[in-house]
Amino acid sequence: MKNVKRLSAFVLAAVFICMAFTSCSGGAKKYTIGICQLMKHDALDAATQGFIDAVNQELGEENVDIDTQIAGEAPVCTTIVNTFVSRKVDLIMANATDALQSAMQATKDIPIVATSITSYGVAMDVEDFSGKTGINVTGTSDLAPLDQQAAMIKEICPDTKTVGIIYCSSEANSLYQVQEITKELKELGITASPYSFSDAADLRPVVEKAISDNDVLYVPTDNTAANSTGIIDGVARPKKVPVFSGEEGICKGCGIVTLTIKYYDIGFQAGKMAAEILRDGKNPGDMEIAFAPQFTKEYNKEICEELGITVPSDYVAIGD
Amino acid sequence: MFFSAFLASLPGAVANGIIWGIMAVGVYITYKVLDVADLTVDGSMSLGGSVLVVCVIGGVNIYLSMLIAFAAGCIAGLVTGVLHTKLGIPAILAGILTQLALYSINLNILGKSNQALNSDRYPLFISMRFTPKTILVCLGITVFLIAVLYWFFGTELGHSIRATGCNHAMAKANGINTNRNIIIGLLLSNGIVAVSGAMLAQYQGFTEVNMGRGAIVTGLAAVIIGDVNFGKIFKNFALRLLSTVAGGVIYYIVMTLVINLGMNTDDMKLFSSIIVALFLGIPYWKNKLAEKKVKPAKESDENA
Repeated sequence: MKNVKRLSAFVLAAVFICMAFTSCSGGAKKYTIGICQLMKHDALDAATQGFIDAVNQELGEENVDIDTQIAGEAPVCTTIVNTFVSRKVDLIMANATDALQSAMQATKDIPIVATSITSYGVAMDVEDFSGKTGINVTGTSDLAPLDQQAAMIKEICPDTKTVGIIYCSSEANSLYQVQEITKELKELGITASPYSFSDAADLRPVVEKAISDNDVLYVPTDNTAANSTGIIDGVARPKKVPVFSGEEGICKGCGIVTLTIKYYDIGFQAGKMAAEILRDGKNPGDMEIAFAPQFTKEYNKEICEELGITVPSDYVAIGD
Repeated sequence: MFFSAFLASLPGAVANGIIWGIMAVGVYITYKVLDVADLTVDGSMSLGGSVLVVCVIGGVNIYLSMLIAFAAGCIAGLVTGVLHTKLGIPAILAGILTQLALYSINLNILGKSNQALNSDRYPLFISMRFTPKTILVCLGITVFLIAVLYWFFGTELGHSIRATGCNHAMAKANGINTNRNIIIGLLLSNGIVAVSGAMLAQYQGFTEVNMGRGAIVTGLAAVIIGDVNFGKIFKNFALRLLSTVAGGVIYYIVMTLVINLGMNTDDMKLFSSIIVALFLGIPYWKNKLAEKKVKPAKESDENA
């Protein structure tokens, strides 16, 4: 009986190892790539898939050995990249900010290609970011085309004079977008005012206030807002106020139109950059951070019909 | 090939393990010494990271920043302690309340949800960049921490805290202020956890408001792994704390091994939970099985 603990520890270790071996694979010398993705999330999954597809297409599926690890939470990224570095992979793909931050701490030598990063300057804590990192890091950004989104508001609702911007005060990326689009709207002669909320609980009164003050609403790419679109829709739709959004998910929940990036595209672009580094020996520090190659104009059919808004023919209904 | 890669990743695993092991020492104080399940740690881990990063970026000396992080953790523990002892809220719930509140507080301290801490720009003394030095520094901190705790729990106050955890009613009957002792224990525990969070932020080069999510499970795993492996040999209090840190290191070595073998990291949390549940359940079943053996003897007595 005294050995129960010891025995079960042994059995557990054995189970662990057996389970691990089932997913283990060997092979000849290839390009080895370690992918560290922060968490399971539709957008991040799409970016990883795009990366893998691009790498396979550029280098040939038989020539690459890709290990995809999903951390689930920030501290696990550290363990994953540490494993990649000690295994001396040829390249690390870091998907999302925390993964990039871990990877760039872990190695100064192995090339790192990142994706799903909004601002590399902010993520890497570099002042006066020039577009190139100068170190072993490059990648693609998921920043939405804010100038074109501003123009979109003018296109769909030409009479707009004031825009209320709803965003979560705790999201650094949102604040950045608010500042940028405010500048863009000002150039079009539209006044934008920020309305911040701290969480879903105080979102309703904030939206009500924004609606009573403004002609239309704009919601940037904001995770907290994306999770609470039902509240925004519940307030805005009965009052017939159009909501413009920075990305597809928010548009699907409460918006009328959006100009969105495809995470698959930026992942694919990152995969091409990885191939250039591995095959052509390019230096990541000299490669410009790339942005989404194309944007998709999308509209929410149900809300547009209810508000009596007809969108130009180049817009695609979400879900089609 | 596999084995050499695993060996090469060991230093990183050890460094990471010691940092989480120090967190586990904090968990040991509440869970083993005080006999209180304190869930504040999930929040105070991130709190330590947030405070350190903000201080360092603000130009505060790195060692002073560590002390400020410790103090911040103590305040978090104090809040849980007051909620529990003065307002009569059950310890688990009090911990959850503080943890929840800390999420907002951490967001406010950082001003955003994630902040990078570039080791090229700030004088960090722990980093993934220089793992061997990091291990030495972490070991130094561990030895210092254990020495201080060993001394503290040897004092009259320390003894009365241990008595509070061993037998609350008896301690109270002997005129010990148990409420005060619970607060001191929580305070100390969360201070240590915050220090570990501050070390982790330096090590991984950034902090994040969700950094401590599930830390209590990792901490318990380290305490239990340490207890199972070294419990029979290490009876002394200081050695028990040391075995807790060793538990953290073993936990991370196993994790690195599993990742190296190519297991899906999605399942990592599930396995952590299963291991902790098993090792928590085994002593219970040992007692139960032991009881059954005695019963037939009793029955035969009654029949006779």
